[in-house]
Amino acid sequence: MRMLSELEDGEGMDSVLRTLARDLDVLLGGDRVITDPVRLRTYECDGLTNHRATPGIVVLPDSAEQVAGVVRECVRAGVPYVARGSGTGLSGGALPRTDGVLIVTSRMRRILEIDIPNQRAVVEPGVINLDVTRAVRADGYYFAPDPSSQQICSVGGNVAENSGGAHCLKYGFTAHHVLACEVVTPDGEIVELAADGPGYDLLGVFVGAEGTLGITTKITVRLTRVPQTVQTLLAAFESIEAGGRAVSAIIGAGVVPAAIEMMDALSIEAAEAAVNCAYPPGAGAVLIVELDGPEPEVAAQFADVERLCRDAGAFEIRIAADDAERALIWKGRKSAFAAVGRISPAYIVQDGVIPRTALPQVLARIDALSAESGVRVANVFHAGDGNLHPLVLFDDAEPGAAERAEEVSGAILDLCIEHGGSITGEHGVGVDKARYMPRMFTEADLDTMQMVRCGFDPGGLCNPGKVFPTPRLCGEVPGVRKGPHPFEGKADLF
Amino acid sequence: MATSAKALDALAAVCGDVRPGEPEEGVLGVEPALVAAPSSVDEAAGVMRVAAALGLAVVPRGGETRLDWGAPPARCDLLVDTRRLDALLEHTSGDLVVSAQAGMPMERLAEVLAERGQRLALDVPLPGSTVGGTIATAAAGPLRTLYGTPRNLVIGLTIVRADGQVARSGGKVVKNVAGYDLGRLFCGSFGTLGLIVEATFRLHPVPAARAWVTRDVDGPKQAYEAVQAVLHSPVAASAVEYIGPGKVAVLLEGVPDGLSLRARTTAGLLGGDAEIGGDPPAGWGRYPDGTTLIDVTAPPTALPDLLATAGTAVTWNGDGHGHVGLPAGSPPDVAVRLLGALRDVLGAHRGGAVVRYAPEDVREAVDAWGPVPALALMRRVKDQFDPDHRLSPGRFVGGIR
Amino acid sequence: MSGHDDLPKLLGDCVHCGFCLPTCPTYVLWGEEMDSPRGRIHLMQQHAEGAPMSAPMVKHFDACLGCMACVTACPSGVQYDRLIEMTRAQVEDEHPRPLRDRAVREAIFRLFPYRRRLRALRGPLRAYQRTGLDRLVRRTGVLERVSPSLAAMERLAPPLGRAPRLPERVAARGERRATVAMLTGCVQGEFFPEVNAATARVLALEGCDVLIPKGQGCCGALSVHSGRAEEGRAFARRTIEAFESADVVVVNAAGCGSAMKEYRTLLADDPSWARRAGAVSGKTRDLAEFLLELGPRAARRPLPVTVAYHDACHLSHAQGVRAQPRALLSGIPELTVREVADPDICCGSAGTYNVLNPGTAAELGDRKAGNVAATGAELLVAANPGCTMQIATALRRRGTPIAVAHTAEVLDASLRGLGPDALLGRAW
Ligand SMILES: Cc1cc2nc3c(=O)[nH]c(=O)nc-3n(C[C@H](O)[C@H](O)[C@H](O)COP(=O)(O)OP(=O)(O)OC[C@H]3O[C@@H](n4cnc5c(N)ncnc54)[C@H](O)[C@@H]3O)c2cc1C
Ligand code: SF4
Ligand code: SF4
Repeated sequence: MRMLSELEDGEGMDSVLRTLARDLDVLLGGDRVITDPVRLRTYECDGLTNHRATPGIVVLPDSAEQVAGVVRECVRAGVPYVARGSGTGLSGGALPRTDGVLIVTSRMRRILEIDIPNQRAVVEPGVINLDVTRAVRADGYYFAPDPSSQQICSVGGNVAENSGGAHCLKYGFTAHHVLACEVVTPDGEIVELAADGPGYDLLGVFVGAEGTLGITTKITVRLTRVPQTVQTLLAAFESIEAGGRAVSAIIGAGVVPAAIEMMDALSIEAAEAAVNCAYPPGAGAVLIVELDGPEPEVAAQFADVERLCRDAGAFEIRIAADDAERALIWKGRKSAFAAVGRISPAYIVQDGVIPRTALPQVLARIDALSAESGVRVANVFHAGDGNLHPLVLFDDAEPGAAERAEEVSGAILDLCIEHGGSITGEHGVGVDKARYMPRMFTEADLDTMQMVRCGFDPGGLCNPGKVFPTPRLCGEVPGVRKGPHPFEGKADLF
Repeated sequence: MATSAKALDALAAVCGDVRPGEPEEGVLGVEPALVAAPSSVDEAAGVMRVAAALGLAVVPRGGETRLDWGAPPARCDLLVDTRRLDALLEHTSGDLVVSAQAGMPMERLAEVLAERGQRLALDVPLPGSTVGGTIATAAAGPLRTLYGTPRNLVIGLTIVRADGQVARSGGKVVKNVAGYDLGRLFCGSFGTLGLIVEATFRLHPVPAARAWVTRDVDGPKQAYEAVQAVLHSPVAASAVEYIGPGKVAVLLEGVPDGLSLRARTTAGLLGGDAEIGGDPPAGWGRYPDGTTLIDVTAPPTALPDLLATAGTAVTWNGDGHGHVGLPAGSPPDVAVRLLGALRDVLGAHRGGAVVRYAPEDVREAVDAWGPVPALALMRRVKDQFDPDHRLSPGRFVGGIR
Repeated sequence: MSGHDDLPKLLGDCVHCGFCLPTCPTYVLWGEEMDSPRGRIHLMQQHAEGAPMSAPMVKHFDACLGCMACVTACPSGVQYDRLIEMTRAQVEDEHPRPLRDRAVREAIFRLFPYRRRLRALRGPLRAYQRTGLDRLVRRTGVLERVSPSLAAMERLAPPLGRAPRLPERVAARGERRATVAMLTGCVQGEFFPEVNAATARVLALEGCDVLIPKGQGCCGALSVHSGRAEEGRAFARRTIEAFESADVVVVNAAGCGSAMKEYRTLLADDPSWARRAGAVSGKTRDLAEFLLELGPRAARRPLPVTVAYHDACHLSHAQGVRAQPRALLSGIPELTVREVADPDICCGSAGTYNVLNPGTAAELGDRKAGNVAATGAELLVAANPGCTMQIATALRRRGTPIAVAHTAEVLDASLRGLGPDALLGRAW
């Protein structure tokens, strides 16, 4: 059933791409180069569908050498390229270039090594996040970063976005669970970046760079011991404020829960409609608190958490007795994004961060924004670390509604910045938020970040147009300088 | 010295504390012509601007606890002392976040945080270290088992670039993926990319109770088995350490109610005649004795080989990182051989060894950094941050300038 | 199906999150967007926006197994089952197929839905198997060269025994608890007659009067799932007529059960049939579903055997029946149920798929066989004849043959106290 080379179909391509496609076909062989326009279009967007661009060429390499070969061909042809994992990104990070190549890692999905004694595994970038956990669960381990998309997002994508999930409050983000990456640099070299090696922590900046510094082809991840016990409770409050008080009290008491998640009335309504999660009726907010760790530790703290919730005004508390009940509690929360589709024809998933203590003020301001504009906003958030996911609802059939929603969504980001927060906690900047970067950072800040970019990718072909609103001119290309540096030997000015 | 006098004047115009360097202030013997101690980010930026204009090579200095690490600078025209940049900027305990200036001593920061029941989960192996120096050298101690190194805890960083521009990355919220994380890049950059002036960290609550469980072990095999037993158990140790010669020590932290049971479980896992105590064992969180310090990357399975190769002056942490000491007076060829042997055995475990400090004769005899996989890329990044090669030139890997 | 007006809305339900990708068998095999549910929906969207039904497009629609794993996985409630049905109909309308493909497709649809024709095939097949000619043909690969599809059909044919005829009525043992009508199915009826016999016995032993209406033919599943909606509707009407007088319709073949439960939508636009279709859909039950609702009465005798239970897509994804068969099996003393890894991934049988796309089907069969073999079970249990044939063939191919049985046969063996050999002794 596999299609063979389909270069004949590449009619209408410009000549640079057509030549490149032929070269890539020779390089990769088999069915690894796509140029048919219908097929190409299926790659036109990632999880964020309002930015679309049909890639010039799609390649499906299955080794690091092939990726490096593709990158070198692109450099030779002066054609930009973009990496893509599972295409679930929510900021358009994997938005292709019509004049470029999309390098898809979905066939690089082997788990290469599982090393329990050293608590690590080595995987290819296309391996699905949850598959890492599945592979080591029987040994009592798991891969800690748990984005809600973990059933499908790739580890390579996680690295690029520095993804996190509900449990990163306690366990940290992808950056904290990646020990090394093999990277195809923008000049087509294969290098190893390690967290704990000699020299600069290039891995530290590579993780979270949204695929603009190179393509990772092999990832060494840290495996985390499965906790001895997990305790989950669901507390219902009359209002978001009361829920917020509980969160403050819990954190203030020195408890570090594995997760604290909050949903407001509107998102509860959506979740009920979608999955019948049967949260306590009449709740203005529900809080999900999960503790994990050694049994005696969790037992002692869990009692405190329950008491603190009651003190803050919880009118009902449910404690999961087993995994099935825990799954039921989480079901409503995990379905919340998709579920909003049941109460609104269209919506924007926003992702902003505020200092947790600013939660009450910011939520009040969001309420006010919503009231002024008549745009409904449902709130779901990782309350423990102040990561808000306001869901801005609108009807795409109504003229101007999308624009109004977009405006409210942007105003929410402004609120986050105003309160010392961030324009993105986990979904990344991508193309979607590049224009907000100057609101959060000065020109010098952005220029400095891009110095890293210039070091890695002076030619600017690796995922251009993402993260930064305006590219920095890298000037002369210092990396390729041969012979002694002009300043060599002129050390002493005095 | 005419240039120097001109530089002094220019610096004095932007910074309140500028003077010529003293011979004993040499950085591994390289005497600074000038010393400037800015007391604000503005002053620091001014100093760096002047340095840029005059082409001065700059070496930052904090608490001087690790100024002798790495290689001597190729030049040192200006020492920028951060110790007057020592303000606590903001401690929002409700958010478990603190911002401090680079020159603040780690112990003082800890005191302030402790008043509100919080801590920065980084040990301070060398008393007197500053916030900036800790970041610049990526220093950490036993707690790295659970909390990692500065790269895991720095959430925002302000630096002054080689050209005097002030730049910030990250912010003051823990969860934040906007822009590149320069904080992690600057961790362990030894003053070669810019001057760190402010940092924001995520904090943790001070645990209500702590216990150390220790066991004397006889030989690499026992040490390995004891360590593995704890690492793969769910006792959730905050630190797992091997302290040479012959001790495995585990730190448990948590609520008093739970701790005694966890400690007993841990003692059982360690085996032998494990002891439970309320105080750290001798040598806890310190580098091994000696005048040469070798930093090793050694994943858990490399422990037996490490111990068999390195002798007794060894400490090692469960997250796969350790240190080896060499006594004063060790001949350079002994150091060379040990380093070679370490690199051989650790290389097989995808580890490595780097010399942190050593007497001059040893330093000159050894290849301090060993193989550096992505050196070309590192040079290119350095070239961007420091095109004129004035920031701690020659101090870092591959003699990067 | 309420016409094509719904198409834009149904397409619009997809938010492009990709959650369906990992359970899609073709995505698992090839890792390509176009061969994933999200990609196929995107292609449908392109077509809806005016792109012609091009050959590449058709290829990706044809490659879809219709396993409905994506429906289960989708958090946004996208009705991919309806989307692919409409699309297949469009493909049949708009896309001229090459002559050879057409011939094979015709052959299938002339054969499978018709019991008499299938029966006619049984004689020659049995003779062929007895002479050992089958092994010779397989070895020489002569059929492979003539037509891979025909070769696939040949490989999948189960060893045939005597086909007992079922009476029109089987009386309940003991006090009667229910009266049920039973669908015998075309492939099930002809190739796995013992399954129907076991089903009738189990129902009777559990206190049901079992009616086996004579006028029943094909339920239409194969046609509907292949874009031959009109043909499918005709089959459906006949089946409705045969069963509408019953209280409950019990179906033991997953594909047929799901098709009958879909009559409601299939005939929604037909005013004279909509209500009747809805009524029959409403009383259709999978055997396991029905038995669990009814509750056990007959004594279960021990059956010391380790079974691997395979989720047939049309049972798990289309009907949501997962727990019931496991509960029934676990209720048998001394029987151990082992879970097969990646239970959501289709075995590649998928109705006529293994005949139309033999290569892909075999790859999926091999994966499934590997996972089944890894359980170390002695007996493979599934509730769909296609799956049974498919997986057993793949297991044989990899040199680890295993005994197979339908859930009904396992229960039957337990209720009648036959012991494990009755199931394990059967060569395959
Ligand atoms: C419903 C839903 C829920 C989500 N929930 C979360 C959540 O809870 N937390 C969270 O953090 N995110 C979440 N996301 C966002 C998304 O899933 C993550 O960002 C994920 O890590 C992206 O992985 P991917 O494989 O889909 O990457 P893609 O979308 O394919 O790519 C993302 C970025 O990574 C780059 N990239 C991909 N592979 C490589 C590689 N090998 N080397 C270098 N760069 C590469 C791409 O160029 C692009 O910039 C969610 C998304 C959806 C649709
Ligand atoms: S029905 Fe099955 S094969 Fe078809 S798209 Fe859905 S999951 Fe894939
Ligand atoms: S899971 Fe549903 S919404 Fe998501 S891509 Fe698949 S079909 Fe579309």
